[in-house]
Amino acid sequence: MAATSIRRRFGRSVLTVAAVALAATLLTALVTIAGTARTKVLSELSKGGPLSGINVAAAEADPTQVDTDDPKPGPPKDLDDSIRAKITAMPDVKSVLPIVAAVVNVIVPEPPANAEVLARQPPLPDTIATTTSAPQSTTNSTSPRQAVPGLKTPDPFPETMVGIDLDRASLMPITILSGRLPVPKSLTEVAVTQGYLTRMGLTKKQAAAVVGTEVQLGAPRVFTDTGLPRRFRSRWVRATIVGVVAQETAPGQFIVSLEQSRAARNWTSAGSDAEGRVQIPTSPYSGLFVIANDIEKVNQVRRDITELGYSTSAPENLVASVQRYLRVVEIVLGAIGAIALVIASMGIANALLAAVRERRREIGVLKAIGARDRDVQRVFLFEAGVLGLVGGIVGTALGYATALGVSAVVNGYLAAQGLKGVRLGLPILVLLAAVCGSTLLALGAGAMPARRAARMPAREAMEAA
Amino acid sequence: MGVAITLRGLSHTYRTAEGPLTVLGGLDFDVADGGYAAITGPSGAGKTTLLSLLGGLEQPQKGRIEIGGQDLNGLSGDDLAAYRRATIGFVFQHFGLLETLTAAQNVELAGTLNGTSPAERRARALELLHAVGLADRAGHRPSRLSGGERQRVAIARALVNEPRLLLADEPTGNLDDDASVMVIELLEKVRADHGCTLVMVTHNRELATRAEQRIPLDRGQRVAV
Repeated sequence: MAATSIRRRFGRSVLTVAAVALAATLLTALVTIAGTARTKVLSELSKGGPLSGINVAAAEADPTQVDTDDPKPGPPKDLDDSIRAKITAMPDVKSVLPIVAAVVNVIVPEPPANAEVLARQPPLPDTIATTTSAPQSTTNSTSPRQAVPGLKTPDPFPETMVGIDLDRASLMPITILSGRLPVPKSLTEVAVTQGYLTRMGLTKKQAAAVVGTEVQLGAPRVFTDTGLPRRFRSRWVRATIVGVVAQETAPGQFIVSLEQSRAARNWTSAGSDAEGRVQIPTSPYSGLFVIANDIEKVNQVRRDITELGYSTSAPENLVASVQRYLRVVEIVLGAIGAIALVIASMGIANALLAAVRERRREIGVLKAIGARDRDVQRVFLFEAGVLGLVGGIVGTALGYATALGVSAVVNGYLAAQGLKGVRLGLPILVLLAAVCGSTLLALGAGAMPARRAARMPAREAMEAA
Repeated sequence: MGVAITLRGLSHTYRTAEGPLTVLGGLDFDVADGGYAAITGPSGAGKTTLLSLLGGLEQPQKGRIEIGGQDLNGLSGDDLAAYRRATIGFVFQHFGLLETLTAAQNVELAGTLNGTSPAERRARALELLHAVGLADRAGHRPSRLSGGERQRVAIARALVNEPRLLLADEPTGNLDDDASVMVIELLEKVRADHGCTLVMVTHNRELATRAEQRIPLDRGQRVAV
């Protein structure tokens, strides 16, 4: 009966549904966009890695700084497998990823003709030959470009290569800006950071220009043979740049496989410290990237690691602040949508009140043939619910489509700015809440007209007949 | 199977902007089980109010109404609805059909309220439409039916729950003479077939003479025939 009533007053029903749909559209679009913006901003903050990540340095902790995002590390302190195992066993720790950094000399893109180069094919270093020639080409899957127009050729410079577990790189705070990451265990591929682009005189937009070029990385070693003068030699590796990344795992412009950085580190460690002129690393890991089970657990895990004596850093305060601001934005946008829904529900109430007035005879007939008050009430509530449900479904679909449209425009803008686009998630909960909310609000709006219809004296209804 | 009607000292007053308006003032009468009564009188005599009280659309204010031994004075809300559903069949002057429903759906409507299954309701509706000679118009909406046909559909709907008291409010008021006769004859046939009590409000003196009992009203009082 309610369905036929909706059909009979088709024009009015369509307008009422349209009002609800419009409100649901607004609510869904605003909340979806706000939610996605939040994710995107937080993702940017964490540079692609999980927000619950903690950097553990091979350095002593200052317990007074555990609540600061980026505390100053204390004196060096070895970070080995036993510590890694202890951290892994901590409650609320999801994963522990090793970081091995090694200092290298860098030649870009070709070494000077007089450079002293140890040309080695990995794995190293069983036999080492001294040579003054350029490093031999290494085998890789990317055809190296020998020169890129406009690229500077800087002088050899010292830098740090950061070795990570490339199999689990997606868990680390690394965002690919161009190209890709080196393949796991590769000894001939490297990704560079924006710092490298700056050194090359390139902007972020020009990141693709360095992909495919070569770089030579030389791990230094000091030889102090008895009776001979001290000699500095490097273990050179020619690698192809396969990608440009933004990363916050550890300071360093080169992201390589753990195997690559370990080989460099071992080479350097096997030499002399040249009476303190060269820093010989003693810690098996230069850092660990610890992922807590939840962003709320980050602080507790940091405290636990600090108790072990290691310095940690995590953007928890920054993330929390941004989360708070974005939450406020989300609430404001959601409130705008909710206000629209309330206005639409008033439209439903108005339409139903008009229907009650028009249908006095119908109500009277229903009562005369034995309908109870609640039967009459149910008819009008059902009608309100149907209007709300249909409006909610249509509006939610339109809202999501609108959000998709907005994200396409935003992505166009971001792409023009050389930034990564936003991928709009499917916020199932938001969609469900919009549909259910529309229906519930419509039922709420229909309650008063339905009650009025139910309480209509049967006698008056009969007189209207 | 019909019901006997007993009214004693029935009074009813409406509150209006101009003050209280007494429409029934101490009415007494009886209708026998299975009887046929015609309530007549000019406009404002209290005919429709009386029919509303008999049909349980209103609670009696003063006096006593007994329908089939059941005292209506103690009933309200759901009890009155149950009474209407189980005992009463209404036929209105303006038919009271829902324009959005077909003839069969209008007849079925009464069955939906007492929990009859859809299949049973449908079968019963078609059976009743057949009985009133409208089997071939079951799928038609009221707007496609003539006045007489609409009233026959209304009578079929009134019979769905096998009422013991059939209340007809000016059932021929909107019909031409031929249709009026057809409808009255149908009501009388229903009464004869089902044995229900029939109480009809009418302005039409000729139709009123067909009833076994005439209850003429004027200003809420019973007057002499």
